[in-house]
Amino acid sequence: MIQFLANGFCKGAVIALVALGFGLIYTTTRVFHIAHAAIYVLGAYALYAALVLLKLPLPAAVGFGLLVAVIAGMLVDWTVYQPLAKRSASAAVVLISSLGVQIVFENLIALGFGNQTQILRAGIEKTFSFGSIILTQVQIAQAVVGILITGAFFLFLKHSRTGQLCRAISDDEILASVLGARVKRIRILVFALGSAFAAIGSMLVALDIGIDPHIGFSAVLTAAVACIIGGLRNFLAPAAGGVLLGLTQSLIVWRTSSKWEESVTFGILILFLLFRRQGLFGGVRRADERA
Amino acid sequence: MNYVYHILIMICLYATLAQSLNLVVGYGGMLSLCHAAFYGLGAYIASLLMMQAHWPFFLSLATAVVVVGVLAWLVSIPAIRLHGDFFVLATLGFQVIVFAVLYNWVDVTRGPYGIPGVPRPSVFGISVTSQPAFLVLAIVAALVCCGVLWLLLSSPYGRTLQAVREDEIAAASLGKNVNAYKRSAFAWAGAIAAVPGVLFATYSSYIDPTSFGLEESIFVLCVLIIGGAGNFRGPVIGAIVLVLLPEVLRFLHIPDSIAANLRQILYGLALVLMMRLRPQGIAGKYAFD
Repeated sequence: MIQFLANGFCKGAVIALVALGFGLIYTTTRVFHIAHAAIYVLGAYALYAALVLLKLPLPAAVGFGLLVAVIAGMLVDWTVYQPLAKRSASAAVVLISSLGVQIVFENLIALGFGNQTQILRAGIEKTFSFGSIILTQVQIAQAVVGILITGAFFLFLKHSRTGQLCRAISDDEILASVLGARVKRIRILVFALGSAFAAIGSMLVALDIGIDPHIGFSAVLTAAVACIIGGLRNFLAPAAGGVLLGLTQSLIVWRTSSKWEESVTFGILILFLLFRRQGLFGGVRRADERA
Repeated sequence: MNYVYHILIMICLYATLAQSLNLVVGYGGMLSLCHAAFYGLGAYIASLLMMQAHWPFFLSLATAVVVVGVLAWLVSIPAIRLHGDFFVLATLGFQVIVFAVLYNWVDVTRGPYGIPGVPRPSVFGISVTSQPAFLVLAIVAALVCCGVLWLLLSSPYGRTLQAVREDEIAAASLGKNVNAYKRSAFAWAGAIAAVPGVLFATYSSYIDPTSFGLEESIFVLCVLIIGGAGNFRGPVIGAIVLVLLPEVLRFLHIPDSIAANLRQILYGLALVLMMRLRPQGIAGKYAFD
């Protein structure tokens, strides 16, 4: 039982990372970034290419993965979303474009690297035991990195000027720009940061269980669900939603089998929609503001 | 010649499917990504009834249509509590759950092994076995489905649905029960989507869950968006274009190993370009704004 809770927490920490990125992008720019999945997979494959094909040391490979993901994230925003934002296209148009981008990336990666699962590290992971809990090295990294980044992100939002501007823009973009916020610059930064979060999450998963080109979509769907059950409009709530999802998934998998994992995610979503639509930490809003 | 019949049958099925999705997306303004779930449920329910309970074709078809319609209505109850992007997410969730059920409930659906040997339909005692006969059946079914949709949409119901799409709060202030309209649009669309599902099952005589996954939902949405939403021409044109596209790739002698990925890349690019340059699709009326 405790073991499963610990596994669930590690899993939840990764979901939380991806969800923080997704939520940051959504709350600031209102882009439902399905192509987050493409960035997620791209980061992991960049890590794979650097680590296994080019045989770089791990820190350099991680840096390379981050760099690729951040650049790709900014490029997607620049080439696809910004022109749509300029003509103030509807949310549905942006979402469909994002879906298109995701399909293109997923299949380009599949063409380049093949559809099969790639393993990044051979052999058995080193494990550590704490009382009755046994965790692998990678799992500990997942939990620690997840907590550290959530903490750093909290400080960034609360105390840095840029973080405060992010919150201002998410509240009212036009007002923020009237008051002198450089909305465009913040937007670029938001996409860079969100993509970095996605890549960190995917690299931690890739080191643990490997990657294939098609894992991105379900990871980002889980992240989006985490955002909803955490509560929209709150930058840190996705982390709570992510951990909650990780824990429940892990418990249900322990009770039944892993094949219902995604169904559990969406079952939880439906429960929240029926009984607590605003999520764990979301406030109630006026009817015309509801997203 | 059978090849041509096959393509025409597929065009009919996808045109019907996209036409039913059009009711939700084009007229209701609700972007939905779970249409393959309704399509697949129709296929599975009718196949199981025909093979396990030995029901006749028409009774199985009618049961599938009613059951899927009710299911779609039930799904819409939680889903329409969300708007915009998160509505899409909820429909995606339903798609994922249906796929998991079809794939994992091995006792009933045989899971990944699929159901082989679905019988060809028999209409008024005549078994429809040849390709041309099936094409006629597919065309008749498509016309009937479009007829039902036309009756719905040309009635006050259809106009109110479009009013809800354009401005929900205004429609509500005129005393229209916005959510009831949305739910019923969803139910009708699901029920009609079951028809091509049943036809697909009896036509290919083998079904498995992979024909009804998320990719299929995305494909149907592509048909609608590329053809154009909000009128009757768009989905038909979309079905013709998107069913013929892979066949063109086949004639260009692109190796099978990359053809599938290449096709997906073309669909994705088409979505991005359409949204940038022509959000109403090739011949559509509604531009998602």
